[in-house]
Amino acid sequence: MTDEPIIQTTSLTKAYGPHIALDNLNINIPRGATGLLGQNGAGKSTFLKTILGLIQATSGEGSVLGYDIRHQGVEIRQRIGYMPEYDALNPDMDAIHQVRYSGELLGMNPVVAMNRAHEALQFVGMGEQRYREIGSFSTGMKQATKLACAIIHDPDLLIADEPSNGLDMKAREFMISTLNTMVHGANRSVLMASHLMDDVERVCENIILLHKGTLAAQGKIDDLKAIDREIEIHVWGGATPLEQRLLDQGFKVRREGRVMRIAHTGEDTTSNILQAAADVGAQIRRMHEYEASLEDLFLAIMDNLGYSVKSSEDLLRSPVEARRVDAPESLGGGAA
Amino acid sequence: MNEDETAPEAPVTGQGRMDVAWGANTGDEHPEDVQHASTPQSGEIFEQLYTPWTGQLNPRWMRNWSILRHHLLGIFKKGHRPWTMPTRIFILIAFLASLADAGMTLLSGVVGSSEFHSLFGVSRDNLYGHVLGFFPRNVLYYPLVAALLVGGVISEDRQHGTSALYFSRPISRFDYVGMKFLSVALIQALVILVTYALYFLAEVVAFGRGWAWMVDIFPMFLAGMFAGILLIITYTSIGLSLSSVSTGRFFPGIGLLAIVFGTKTLASIVKNLFEREILYLISPYDCVAHVGQALIGTQTTYDQYSWTYSLVALVAMNALALYVLASRVASMEVTRE
Repeated sequence: MTDEPIIQTTSLTKAYGPHIALDNLNINIPRGATGLLGQNGAGKSTFLKTILGLIQATSGEGSVLGYDIRHQGVEIRQRIGYMPEYDALNPDMDAIHQVRYSGELLGMNPVVAMNRAHEALQFVGMGEQRYREIGSFSTGMKQATKLACAIIHDPDLLIADEPSNGLDMKAREFMISTLNTMVHGANRSVLMASHLMDDVERVCENIILLHKGTLAAQGKIDDLKAIDREIEIHVWGGATPLEQRLLDQGFKVRREGRVMRIAHTGEDTTSNILQAAADVGAQIRRMHEYEASLEDLFLAIMDNLGYSVKSSEDLLRSPVEARRVDAPESLGGGAA
Repeated sequence: MNEDETAPEAPVTGQGRMDVAWGANTGDEHPEDVQHASTPQSGEIFEQLYTPWTGQLNPRWMRNWSILRHHLLGIFKKGHRPWTMPTRIFILIAFLASLADAGMTLLSGVVGSSEFHSLFGVSRDNLYGHVLGFFPRNVLYYPLVAALLVGGVISEDRQHGTSALYFSRPISRFDYVGMKFLSVALIQALVILVTYALYFLAEVVAFGRGWAWMVDIFPMFLAGMFAGILLIITYTSIGLSLSSVSTGRFFPGIGLLAIVFGTKTLASIVKNLFEREILYLISPYDCVAHVGQALIGTQTTYDQYSWTYSLVALVAMNALALYVLASRVASMEVTRE
């Protein structure tokens, strides 16, 4: 296996008239699992369509699995598996025939496609339901069938658009474990676009974060989390003076009652906090490094960019509303 | 449980069911004992195994063939495109009804009646009538077959999002729409052109026609075949363009019927009231009929303008319909519909 990135773009730009959907993207996605994050309207769909060769980039270059996105869209779509977010199944067909047909559309011989459809449905846990009409399926079963359609030809890269969206806990767990099996067991690559940060964190080791068509962050999740390192303390008595003292010393402090999180600034952060507590007479009953979640990371990156996103719920707003809420005040936004 | 309780003649007391419901305990346990529902350990029989595949994917023609096959075989068997049962039944009815003239020709051969044969046997007018006769074929059969077929062919891909299944794979929009067009046209051809050929064959078989007769009649036969192809292309173009702007199967179907019968009715009313035939140029059926009459050489029923006007109108109708179809299919999404 080579270390070459599976998806690579250089100054990739896509404009619809005056609206720039993708702005000068330089992206390198390595093998393995990568999460594609971004709010509604961030450019995720445009990015996916561009790398699938379905729409032409306005400028810039790119390749997927070594194929040029401008001229080799057919080759790309033959070698990747795409699992769409929305329903893409005929409710009047049996799962087995739907999956077989999706294989035939890739150029598989009907007999081979049928054999692979059995294997793919077995893999996604639909072996017992394969002869049932899709119209009678639950959301989880439909998602599993869509996944089977996407992996029937054993693609090197699976692009999964919101694979766990709308699933109950059990189906969600199964979907996550299935994607993990593909990545770690079968050694395939997954590009997973999702609003559910927990799921991305459980499957992916890398993320790409898009914001308004620009690249906000890319890299390993663990590396990126380092930018949001915090020390969490539980204070008994004197929390307010301690908070004030820390703020006076230039620390960035987030406080919820007796729990405070102080941004990690260096090796002496811990001793400075203890000294401040001793100075104001506050007791620190507990102190540990706070492990940031991907959602914290997302909020920190947005905060660094000057956008006041409040929570992942903001991600699920309509594009228009999302833009209004998270735009910096200098651009007339900031009001919920 | 002793043997008396399980003997066939033992009375039914329900004791066994109660034992199962409450467990086999005596019920004398301490009232403050904590009871736990026992969770049986189920065996894990599902093993998730990813099976690699190293086969070769076939080229473009095979992908296109799969679309065509999916739609065509769906008429006959399960596992392919799920055409509705009314559609399948009506196609069968139209197919059998379209064979009526072939059957009557065979019958006239058996009976040996020349009058019977002159009514139903192969002739210039009857060849025209098999394809373009207004009643019953272009009132009861062919437009209805077309409407039932085109109704959901593209609109249901929009409705169910199955367009993503095509376009996220190496299927171009041209191939997608081309194969859909061809499959709908071929099913109509089965009803119109195959029965037309069988009708011709029935005459050959029933009357023992030789090569000289066949060579004589063949140009007329070809003209009728060409008129049938023109009819199929026109109905399919209009129908698919309506299907491409919709997300259900009702509107395209009823829209096609409205266009075919509405324009015909309007033109007939205008002709009867004002003795002006020019409005037939907006009627797809009448344009095909006019061109068909000219091709086959039967007596024309449109006297006030040349058949070339109808041909131009047909080309314009098809061009407009194909333009709508192409632009709508070009706008179909992969990431969301």
